[in-house]
Amino acid sequence: MHFKIRAAAKEDCREISRMIKELAVFEKMSDQVKISHEDNKTSVVFLVTCVFVVLPGFTLVGYALYFYTYSTWTGRSVYLEDLYVMPEFRGNGIGKGLMSKVAEVGKKKQCVRLQLSVLDWNTPARDFYATKGAQDLTAGEGWHFIRFDGQSLDDLVNEAPED
Amino acid sequence: MEYSIRAANVEDCKDIARMITELAEYEKVSEHVKVTQKDLEQDGFSKNPFFHGIIAEVPEQHKTKEGHTKIGYALYFYSYSSWKGRAIYMEDLYVMPEFRGIQKNGLVAMEIMCMCMCMCRKSLVICGVCLSGKGIGKALMSKVAQLGLAAGCNQLNFTVLDWNKSSLDFYLNQGCFDVTADMGYHCMRCEGEALQHLAQP
Repeated sequence: MHFKIRAAAKEDCREISRMIKELAVFEKMSDQVKISHEDNKTSVVFLVTCVFVVLPGFTLVGYALYFYTYSTWTGRSVYLEDLYVMPEFRGNGIGKGLMSKVAEVGKKKQCVRLQLSVLDWNTPARDFYATKGAQDLTAGEGWHFIRFDGQSLDDLVNEAPED
Repeated sequence: MEYSIRAANVEDCKDIARMITELAEYEKVSEHVKVTQKDLEQDGFSKNPFFHGIIAEVPEQHKTKEGHTKIGYALYFYSYSSWKGRAIYMEDLYVMPEFRGIQKNGLVAMEIMCMCMCMCRKSLVICGVCLSGKGIGKALMSKVAQLGLAAGCNQLNFTVLDWNKSSLDFYLNQGCFDVTADMGYHCMRCEGEALQHLAQP
């Protein structure tokens, strides 16, 4: 199956939103999706770009969403926030193509790490990443993601010192 | 003891590099640190920075015996959740040991320090009585949260090691939640040869 990968543009945000929701349904967390394609549109400039998969006929069937991060030990890194291919187009190397593209983009910016997160029950994804040589830092070293949001974030902000 | 917190500038990179090294040396993992002062200058203070920093400073009369007035920092960057939108990630939080347990109003409080990726369990202390203390580390973390909110972020994220119970308890007591434990997300990393191979077109 021939496919093309390209950088995302603002006009893609509606399709990005559609696929974000499809991925959330797969992850059994569709109630967690709060942002719309309008938010994505204004935030695309803020931070992220995507790479897209386009098949003949220019149907958008997959995407990867990434941004740059930093390690005070090793320096520049790239974080793969989302990687998604619509179910009917899997098995054709599209996911691998997207992930490799993100790694390539990161390499051009001298990133030395590519990081992501995966749900513990998502065995196909975990197997996929394992074949790509990804280490599981949670299982291997005990790292946990911690988050402040909503009221807990507001409470923390209220304790900030005055300038 | 009076202290101030301000945005880091490129001249602070020497002290940030020093404090990164101090922490790594204390944890006996200094061989893991590859980032130099020059990397910090380039990566944090060019047109599209990879990170931002805030610095905690004390007045001259409280400088360390080596003459340092820059005695703590937090390093953060903006990230994105495709579900919730803009987020802020705190990569490092550090206060030099002799400046821990200090509140601006003179009250003594113990606090959690050193929550960066390279931190070691030994560097964490917690006082069950003074969890509400407003020490320098807490002030730095709150400032990062404030900066995030001002930038339209609705999440502050970071990582902590699972065996670091005192640290985990401290953060959970402040209302945050453990995304890994509660939702099952694992942190994954590709680097070195695996990354080189992946980046082949």
